[in-house]
This record gives sequence, C-alpha cells and structure tokens, in this order.
Amino acid sequence: MKQEPINYRNIYYPPGGILMWIIVFLELITFGMAVVAMVYCGKQEPEIFHESRLLLNPVYGIINTILLITSGFCMAISVHYLKINTLQKSKVLLLATMLFGMLFLIVKTFEYNEKINLGLDINHDLFFTFYWLLTLFHVIHVIVGLVILGSVYFGLRKEKTNIEDVEASATFWHMCDLIWLLIFPVIYLFF
Amino acid sequence: MKKSITITYIFLILLTVVSGIISGVINKNISFIILLLSALKFIGVSFYFMDLKKAHTFWKSIIIGYVIALIIIVLMI
Repeated sequence: MKQEPINYRNIYYPPGGILMWIIVFLELITFGMAVVAMVYCGKQEPEIFHESRLLLNPVYGIINTILLITSGFCMAISVHYLKINTLQKSKVLLLATMLFGMLFLIVKTFEYNEKINLGLDINHDLFFTFYWLLTLFHVIHVIVGLVILGSVYFGLRKEKTNIEDVEASATFWHMCDLIWLLIFPVIYLFF
Repeated sequence: MKKSITITYIFLILLTVVSGIISGVINKNISFIILLLSALKFIGVSFYFMDLKKAHTFWKSIIIGYVIALIIIVLMI
C-alpha cells in the first residue's frame, strides 16, 4: 500500500482530514446543544426527570459505553497497524471494531424493547422525549459508521483503500464514541 | 503508540466504571464529578484514539475549549 507521510502539525491536515473534523465539530455542537436543552428542561421539572431517570437501567449505559470504547480502541490499534504496514492485523482489528459496534446495537435493541414494553415511549414525558431523540440519533450515526467501516474493510481486502481513507473513517467512528460520552452521563447518571 | 492507546483504553474503562458507581452516591457535587470524569474520557478518546495529540495546537485548543464551555454551561443552568 502506497503511503506518503502527512504533517499533522500543519493546521490544514489534522489526523482524519480537515473536512472530517469540520463534520465532527458540527455534530458535537448539535449534540452539545441538545444536551444543554435537556439539562435546562431537567432543571425546570427536576422531580419528573429524576423519577424518569430511575426508570432507566444504568447497567445498559455502562455496558454500551464499554463496548463503544473497546470498539474505538480496536479502531485506533487497527490504524496503528496499517501505518506500520501490518495489513492482516489491521483487517482483523477492523472486524473487531465492527463486531463491538454491532454488539452496541444489540444491547441498545434489548434496552429499547424493554422500554417499549413498559410503555416508556417518546410521548411518556419530556425526559423520555430527549432519551429517544438523543439515543436514536446516535444509533443512526453508529449504523452509518458501520457501513463506512464495512466499505473500508472491503477496500483494504482489495488493497484499493489508502491510509487517509482509513483515518477519515476512524475519525467518524471515534466521533460516535465522543457523542456517546456526551449523552451517556446526562441521560443515565445526571438527574 | 500502541502502548499509549492501551493505557488510555484501561483508563477509559476505569473512569466509566467509577462514573457508574459514584452516580448512586447522594452528594451535591456528584453532578460536577460525573461531568468531570466524562470530560476526561472525551479528552482521552480525542487525543489518543483520534491522534489529536499530533495535530496543530488549534485543533487541540478547540476540542478542550468545547469541553470546558459545555461543562460551564451545564453547571450554570
């Protein structure tokens, strides 16, 4: 695989590419505003938010956080192996990244199923409106990330993908971690 | 590089478990501590997993500024 050294110290070349970082910041600002709105509403109706928060099982949130962090760890190591031209290990770790991402979605499915069976849908109260909107938007990002990683994996197999593509995809995947790290404490622990 | 990523990973897992444990503690400062632990995880992922530590100071400053601004806004509400 052809590799050219990138000077990450150059302001126009952050790891993953400047366009991906613009997307990352747009997403972080959007989710950040939603988190601020949720905290603001929680201060207006503290009892409702506290009682609703107690209806959530934080174990699901903690397991999902560990799964996403593990997935991000595999992705970071995969990029590292690619940079030192160890393609086979890089591909295996990319598969592990996707596996942990899928496990995250499976746990989320169980959690959603439990909430729906208990009647805790998006109209239950304001806390659950935020819960469903924030977590579902995040799930959409994870699904898109998995599709991107899948295409990168097949690109690596055919040796048609370069390091910049992998780094940009990894940045998108880590962005899913960052968004989850913003919403997890506010939804599961804060109120 | 692999070593620093692995250490970061262990650190992130520990912080996640600690966040879960302390969330059950009734204390007026617990919200601040939970936010602080999340901010540390956020910085860990961005600097070590996303390799931002190698980037220009502008990118490092903007991500740290974002986290600090968000914590201040949430605590001010």
